[in-house]
Amino acid sequence: MVDLWNLIILNPMLNGLVALSSVLDGSCGLAIIALTIIVRLILVPLTLKQLKSTKALQGMQPKIQELQKKHGKSQQKLQQEMMKLYKEAGVNPLGCLWPMLVQFPVWIALYQSIMRALATTPESLLNLFEHLYPWEVVAQALPLDSHFLWLNLGSPDSTMILAIIVGGSMWVQQKMVTAPTLDPRQRSMNSMMQLMMPFMFAFFTLMFPSGLALFWAVSNVIGIVIQYLVTGWGYLGRGSLPKLPLRR
Amino acid sequence: MAVNASARSQQLHFPVDGEWVYAITTTSQGGLSCGPVSTPVAIYGTPDVDGDLVFIGTYNGKVYALSTLARSQNLNFPQTRDKEWFYPKTNEVIGSVVGSPVVSDDAIYITSSDGKVYSLDRDTGDKNWNSTVLCDKSWSTPYIEGDKLYISTFDGYLYALSADDGSITWSFATESKIGFISSPVVSNGVIFIGSFDRNLYAVEVESNETLWKFAGDNCFWATPLVSNNVVYASCLDNNIYAIDAGNGTQLWSFDAGSPIAVSPLLVDDSLVVVAESGNVYVINPKTGIGERIKNPENDNKPTINALVQATPCAQEGIVYIRGQDNWLYALDIEQGEVIWKFPLTTE
Repeated sequence: MVDLWNLIILNPMLNGLVALSSVLDGSCGLAIIALTIIVRLILVPLTLKQLKSTKALQGMQPKIQELQKKHGKSQQKLQQEMMKLYKEAGVNPLGCLWPMLVQFPVWIALYQSIMRALATTPESLLNLFEHLYPWEVVAQALPLDSHFLWLNLGSPDSTMILAIIVGGSMWVQQKMVTAPTLDPRQRSMNSMMQLMMPFMFAFFTLMFPSGLALFWAVSNVIGIVIQYLVTGWGYLGRGSLPKLPLRR
Repeated sequence: MAVNASARSQQLHFPVDGEWVYAITTTSQGGLSCGPVSTPVAIYGTPDVDGDLVFIGTYNGKVYALSTLARSQNLNFPQTRDKEWFYPKTNEVIGSVVGSPVVSDDAIYITSSDGKVYSLDRDTGDKNWNSTVLCDKSWSTPYIEGDKLYISTFDGYLYALSADDGSITWSFATESKIGFISSPVVSNGVIFIGSFDRNLYAVEVESNETLWKFAGDNCFWATPLVSNNVVYASCLDNNIYAIDAGNGTQLWSFDAGSPIAVSPLLVDDSLVVVAESGNVYVINPKTGIGERIKNPENDNKPTINALVQATPCAQEGIVYIRGQDNWLYALDIEQGEVIWKFPLTTE
């Protein structure tokens, strides 16, 4: 299974990254950016499918909110009515999930490729050699130049700059897609997630090699651009929904 | 860890007869609310033993001299009366040390990933000198010949340094400035070294000429062995090559079935090759014909049932191999069998 994964997904991506580095004047940083862009472009059809599905769900929000108002007390009834609504509109609420699942292995492979290509320790460099194709362009790229801008891609960024970029871009992306809700519990969970994930990744940025954090940052920025082209700024500029009037 | 081969072959309780274990750790502040955390330090280079002292370079950028006398009595480190020391003597560190330390006369020489070569006093650990920054990174073990040190760098340079003061007396780079991955070995005035571009280079010392280069299908990761004007080079393309040191002609090659990440050994009249898979081959160095030492428990499995990435050593016809499973294996080459194995874990 591991061999199959390496053969079909990981090795092509890893060698692509090293070859790109060779083409891009030996810069591993530029290669990470280029490979992230290429992979995201390849995945655009799936991303669009996911976004369209999300957009359709967003378009139904007023009706969903109406249902929430109407059946706020009975979760079971609310679920039934919502499923009915989805069925009538021909929207699958899980429709945005499977494109994401298909993309997931690709993200893992990209992550593994970057970690392997940076090869900071002797055993990781030895491991890298054993996964490289016998291409001239690949051999000439090694060892990869791990310096990019102010970063040493093999070590965590000691400044807070990359952590802020990763956390900030992730927050923007999440804010664009998270629809406001009248359900106080859901709203509270959304707000927590909107802060939790960016904070977590910003924290990871301080712990992991900055090459990986660069990938997160670029991926987030591309995600924001694609999202903007499909749905505009989404819910970024909008405040939260007015609170339900208190019942007397 | 110091292991007594005789005691291990008799399966005596560890430690006996000068055996010892000493953990080199580093203390760092734990994450968030945790207190200081003590973690073991990685050691990649082969320790250099000189008399009662063992010299070690660590990946966290420290150099240690351990006394076998003090360690076998489990005394506090460092016992300065036994000439134990560590460098730098403060909490500071130099760059990661991956290559092995080398002792010559009253000094030890070490290459660090901060791009410098250090010379330290053998008995006190005081710094004799450090070179200027030679490169971005080097994992090279210095090769000492006469009053010169030869080292290789990741950015494609070979340097000869004066052993007296660390000044550069000679440097060489290939035209394409391809980095060198293996440590250099010098024989009859020629440096042999593996490069990132999958070639083994032969460079004439003190000149700027490549005598020849020999292409493999993957990298020559390990330091080559030179004997009787023949270069024996392990390659990650699964082969060991015997190459004429004078003109770079291939004499023979032997397929070990998996990458070879460690240098071959000459034991008596045999060439011993340890593949990464754990298979050990005994080869006739003249003909390239050899055979695998069988696994004592299961013939279908590699000789030792563990990956091998650490350089083996040999003494009196016995080859000692440390497997990635953290066991030490002893192989009798003449008998062609594993004679004992010992776990290198302290629990």
